[in-house]
Amino acid sequence: MICDDVQRDLDPYVDRELAAEAAAAVREHLSTCAQCRQRLADREAVGRLVRSLPYYHAPARLRARVSGRAQQSRSVRQLAAWAAAAVLVVSVAGAISLVRSAATRGNAIVGDVVDAHVRSLMAEHLFDVRSTDQHTVKPWFLGKLDFSPPVVDLASIGFPLVGGRLEYVSGRPVAAIVYQRQKHTINVLVWPVSDETIGLKEQALRGFHVRHWARNGMSFWAVSDLNDTELTQFARALQDR
Amino acid sequence: MPMPARLFEEIVLPHLDAAFNYARWLTRDHAEAEDVVQDACVRAVRFFTSLRDDDARAWLFAIVRNTWYSRVSRRSDAGEALPLDTRSADPADTSLDPEAQLLQQHAVTRVRDALEQLPADFREVLVLREIEGMSYKEIAAIVRVPIGTVMSRLARARDRLSAVLKPAALPVERMP
Repeated sequence: MICDDVQRDLDPYVDRELAAEAAAAVREHLSTCAQCRQRLADREAVGRLVRSLPYYHAPARLRARVSGRAQQSRSVRQLAAWAAAAVLVVSVAGAISLVRSAATRGNAIVGDVVDAHVRSLMAEHLFDVRSTDQHTVKPWFLGKLDFSPPVVDLASIGFPLVGGRLEYVSGRPVAAIVYQRQKHTINVLVWPVSDETIGLKEQALRGFHVRHWARNGMSFWAVSDLNDTELTQFARALQDR
Repeated sequence: MPMPARLFEEIVLPHLDAAFNYARWLTRDHAEAEDVVQDACVRAVRFFTSLRDDDARAWLFAIVRNTWYSRVSRRSDAGEALPLDTRSADPADTSLDPEAQLLQQHAVTRVRDALEQLPADFREVLVLREIEGMSYKEIAAIVRVPIGTVMSRLARARDRLSAVLKPAALPVERMP
């Protein structure tokens, strides 16, 4: 492999978008070429700088205004309903069929898992125990759950553990173990299941990515707005522990 | 058929921060970004039949982007100048000592300015990739270009940014 080829592949390499063989070829070249290593370091430095910029959060008044809009559209619909019963029948029937088709597309648990994730971020109740130490997070669940969830830190591969909390999914208390990837939060929900092994399943709902697997009598659901590739990398690493 | 309020709350509101951050980088202006996101939400309610169940964030980003570009083209048709940037400084991190705060402030301002100076096509792919962590496929769908174009724009965006930041990049690099 020559430097020109590597330069072409360097961005997808940094972004983990390169197929395994191509990535291996880049890695091999990098081990022998100081110039390309420098190019890689520059690219990674640019990425770090951009990611270090403060995030622009939506101002509260914008949130209030657009939430107000949704409320308004609801009351307008009710008004229309009183005005014309025929319109009511059509619009409600339409709305129900839309809601139902959205619900049947993902199964109920995925919906609950994504809800739990969104709730934790919007209510800013992400942690009951805040710690990057697995030996603090794991014992915290003792006595609060009738099972002991496996807790591991993945900081070594860029997914630091940041804490845990109790969560309720499908009417039962479950463990939520929280990881961070740059500015993205990953919630891993864990609860016991009958002894079955399920390989990694990839799903997505409402703009969030979900990874599900089961092993050693535990069911795992990882949910985040992180991109597909990195969430799969995270899930595989967790599976391997 | 407008989007039911419940779906709006479930699908759009969770991505409001991300939509605003993206709009802020597109427009480079706080008030403009607010207007764009608000308009985009109105459009989202109207056009939600185009939403597939699993891609709400990318769907909303595409609407934000269309909203912004249709405003820009309306304005240039009318011969209006684009608004000046009236950004205010971000509050400093008070957990640092004053010198480190100054240094950090300086670094943030310099990186932000450099990113804002990039052409819009380059700036947005960098923001979508580095800040929003989106895949090439997701970015391609939002920007409506082939994946290969996303890749080459990212490469050129990073080249430009590192060229601008490099001469004095060392103090920044030492920051934790």
